[in-house]
Amino acid sequence: MKISTNWLKDFVTLAPPLERIAEKLTLAGLEVKRIEPRPEWKDTVFEVEITTNRPDWLSHLGVAREIHAIENTGLKLPSVETVPDRLPPSGWKLDLKEAEGCPYYTACLLEGVQNGPTPDGMQNRLAACGLRSINLVVDITNYVLLETGQPLHAFDADLVRGREVIVRRAKSQEVLAALDGKRYELSSGDLVIADHDRAIALAGVMGGQETEVSVRTRNLLLESAFFDPRWVRKTSIRVGLSSESSYRFERRVDPEGVDFGRERAVTLFRELAGVRRVSHVLKAGRKPTPSKLKIHLSLAEVEKILGVAMKPHQVHSVLARLGLEPRNENPENWVVTIPSYRADLERSVDLVEEVARVSGYDKIPETLPERPPVEVHPSPIRDLEERTRDFLAGAGFFETVTSSLINPVSFERAGFELKDTVRIHNPIHEELTLLRPSFLASLAEVLAGNERAGERSAAIFEIASLYRRKSKTEAPEEEKSLGLLASGERRTGWKGPHRNLDYYDLKGVLESYFEILGIKGSAFSPQPFSFLEGSARICVGKEAVGFLGVVAPSVTSEWDLRGRAAFAEISLARLVRLLPSEKKFEALPRFPAAERDLSLVVAEGLQIGEILEEIKRLGRGQVRNVELFDLFRGGRVPKGQKGVAFRMTYQSLERTLLSEEVQLLHETVAREVSEKFGASFQNIK
Amino acid sequence: MNPEELQNLAREAQSRLESLQTPAQLEEFRIAYLGRKGKVTCLFEALKTAPSEERRTLGQKLNELKNSLEEKLKGRQSGLSASGGREKEFLDPTLPGIRPASGRIHPLTQTIRRITGIFERLGFEVAEGPEIETEFYNFTALNIPLDHPSRDAFATFYTQVDSPRESPFLLRSQTSTVQIRVMQKRKPPLRIIAPGRVYRPDRVDASHAFMFHQIEGLMVDERTTFSELKGVLHLFLRQLLGPETKIRFRPHFFPFTEPSAEVDVNCFLCDGRGCSVCGGKGWLELLGAGSVDPAVFEQVGYDPKRVQGFAFGLGVERIAMLMHGISDIRMFLENDLRFLRQF
Repeated sequence: MKISTNWLKDFVTLAPPLERIAEKLTLAGLEVKRIEPRPEWKDTVFEVEITTNRPDWLSHLGVAREIHAIENTGLKLPSVETVPDRLPPSGWKLDLKEAEGCPYYTACLLEGVQNGPTPDGMQNRLAACGLRSINLVVDITNYVLLETGQPLHAFDADLVRGREVIVRRAKSQEVLAALDGKRYELSSGDLVIADHDRAIALAGVMGGQETEVSVRTRNLLLESAFFDPRWVRKTSIRVGLSSESSYRFERRVDPEGVDFGRERAVTLFRELAGVRRVSHVLKAGRKPTPSKLKIHLSLAEVEKILGVAMKPHQVHSVLARLGLEPRNENPENWVVTIPSYRADLERSVDLVEEVARVSGYDKIPETLPERPPVEVHPSPIRDLEERTRDFLAGAGFFETVTSSLINPVSFERAGFELKDTVRIHNPIHEELTLLRPSFLASLAEVLAGNERAGERSAAIFEIASLYRRKSKTEAPEEEKSLGLLASGERRTGWKGPHRNLDYYDLKGVLESYFEILGIKGSAFSPQPFSFLEGSARICVGKEAVGFLGVVAPSVTSEWDLRGRAAFAEISLARLVRLLPSEKKFEALPRFPAAERDLSLVVAEGLQIGEILEEIKRLGRGQVRNVELFDLFRGGRVPKGQKGVAFRMTYQSLERTLLSEEVQLLHETVAREVSEKFGASFQNIK
Repeated sequence: MNPEELQNLAREAQSRLESLQTPAQLEEFRIAYLGRKGKVTCLFEALKTAPSEERRTLGQKLNELKNSLEEKLKGRQSGLSASGGREKEFLDPTLPGIRPASGRIHPLTQTIRRITGIFERLGFEVAEGPEIETEFYNFTALNIPLDHPSRDAFATFYTQVDSPRESPFLLRSQTSTVQIRVMQKRKPPLRIIAPGRVYRPDRVDASHAFMFHQIEGLMVDERTTFSELKGVLHLFLRQLLGPETKIRFRPHFFPFTEPSAEVDVNCFLCDGRGCSVCGGKGWLELLGAGSVDPAVFEQVGYDPKRVQGFAFGLGVERIAMLMHGISDIRMFLENDLRFLRQF
């Protein structure tokens, strides 16, 4: 909002420099964002930002009141001339049908108006506040709005049919052609001002074209009312129309300002527009604050909340300058009376803020709490997240943070089945409507972006919630999860050779991750996924914790990826339940180990995991470790088969194994493995 | 033969021996100096023709040289065989190192860690809450009336429903929701710090995103004053931004705190002189804060006469942008590796 400092000078003294006043206002919570010198209007304009709790600041008088509170300069109110001998508004009727939407409505008739050009002084002030001069009548209503904060509306009284003003709900499908030239279709939740035949204004929001004042207007019907903030807000949002009036009504105008604003306008109409004949005021309803609210405040409460010792006279002085009429019950207790324009002050704590604000937050010293330590509640999931981040960054992965809202269309095209998903009703982008059930789309998009930027490889991860719809009444489920994607070259610098990151790299990362977490018994078993080609379900014991695979061509083409990325997803919410409480030390083996190798040629389709398990089983506890150290095809290996080489470590925890014993066991293992898997058994070392 | 000749030979042999790298080279050396036709052996022959008065001393020196060379040769030979006897490769110290793959923690996570770390040292505990919330936690319990303009600052995404009878959920537009959840579950004393994602349907530009991160702090016990709020936040900001950091509390309005303040720090980019980042004001707005409004305590079933508290909130992106000189908020969600590598 723009405030003319010239205008302020009508009400308060502004001791220069203006920068000092601006700074003081800012530090009292009335933030002056900019100071604009406007020599063309011989003015300096404050651009202020006003919080929603202070509608009383939305006028020059309101800002002047604040300056008086912080500067104690004295406050002069605008002149309102009271002319006792007014005429009755002959034949005019006022009918307030909707008292909830409009608790208090007033209007009066002004006859013989000479609507013409507006005096320069008034035009300049309006211009300084960003308003264009329209005609004298409209300008006077705007002037009073900016001066007192009370929105007014002037109807051309000769265009109001049947000498009747009705405040009522709109009829369904009733239409109003508003002053902005647009037609608004109304509904029964909207409040309108109507004449005998039709709606002539959208109450508190905008007047109608059909009763608009013009240079030909001779007689005015001047409206000043208190419209209910919620009603105005609802209509303003529903029809998508906001005005200087609705902005103030929504935030609540001063009920006493209704009469004051109207009389101020009447004064100006008499002074500037040649109006001589003014009617009695038509009134309906009651001002919403009949009795003034009184609040008790004690010095003790001020000190308790702020944590600072204060002098009683300081508190008293602030309250008095704010116009709160403090009355001492005893030297450290007050009863204050809340003026009608301060509806934000309802409780003693609100007064404590006023005392702190006006005396200055900088006057409150900084202290540090002295408190005993409190019990800390462990958060295993958060600990796991942080350990996961550290491990993965150390393993060469970049953490990403991507939007939880994704495009369901490309997600579906990539092969993902959308069921039990959560959608957004009011998306900001047409595409971003889905709360993601997987990291696939997000990470594929990051990879694609980086590939376009020239990266030859990317190993990325994200930790965040994934969302799934539950029943209609329950909140959707949020499951803390980890997504990983790896693609492109695994680089070894000039030592080469480079090769591409694949499924096995990602699997290796997960195996190390599980090992470091102390999670035992993880298994990767084949399972198809619609968006993966070659994939496995990851289980720990019986519990499924995630999956891993190579993305399907549908994914590669949807995001235009260069290669076949490996993708994995792990539920941290599930994994955290499988973490060992503490890692338990196992005694180091005291007896020597013996290594033996075993090379086999087996069918291409055979799963190596089966052989590894079989070897362990056959080893009868004496095989401490089996390592696959080579996997080869071609050469002497026939087509449709593969060569594999294992290194077994034989070791007992109880005694030294004799060399003959190891040899015998190894031969047995080798023979049985070969028989079971139909392997041609190459040699035994 | 003369003493000078002997001395030259000794120097030459010595320096050659030091430069030899392989067993083969050592063998060559042995033959060349100590072999039957070696240079040292030959000198023994030459000794015979030396003048007799010098023969004795020269002979002694020659013997010493022979013994010392033999000894050093042996030393080098055993040294080489200890290193496997392989030929020593030429090592180029300027050749680029082979780097292990090294990843990064996202700068937003790093910022969250720094901030929560400071508060954890001050005795606060990290808490989290759901992102999908109800109007109660996002608005009502925080004293934000549903039909009031104060809600406009918290524009909100709602979830789709199948029928008008279902009530939609919303994506939290602030982490203050966690305050309510924690207070409902526990009794004071409380000291929590709650980082998390928040969502607002704002137009996206260099300083606005529809998803961003906030950190909410809350301290509640029998007597937590506004003065302590000032003390704790200044301590925090000094730890985050440096010991010279100055702060300014400016009155503001939040429905869930009373008194409320916005907290500014002196612009560390221009030292408070005024620059484009602080808009010439010399101050940067960093946090919102205040004493917990009694209405919020009532919503969670605390007796406002018995408890007092303070709460504060800050935007993680804003702080990360200021600290690292990032001018566009969209960089955080783009995840360009060239960007991430810098942190």
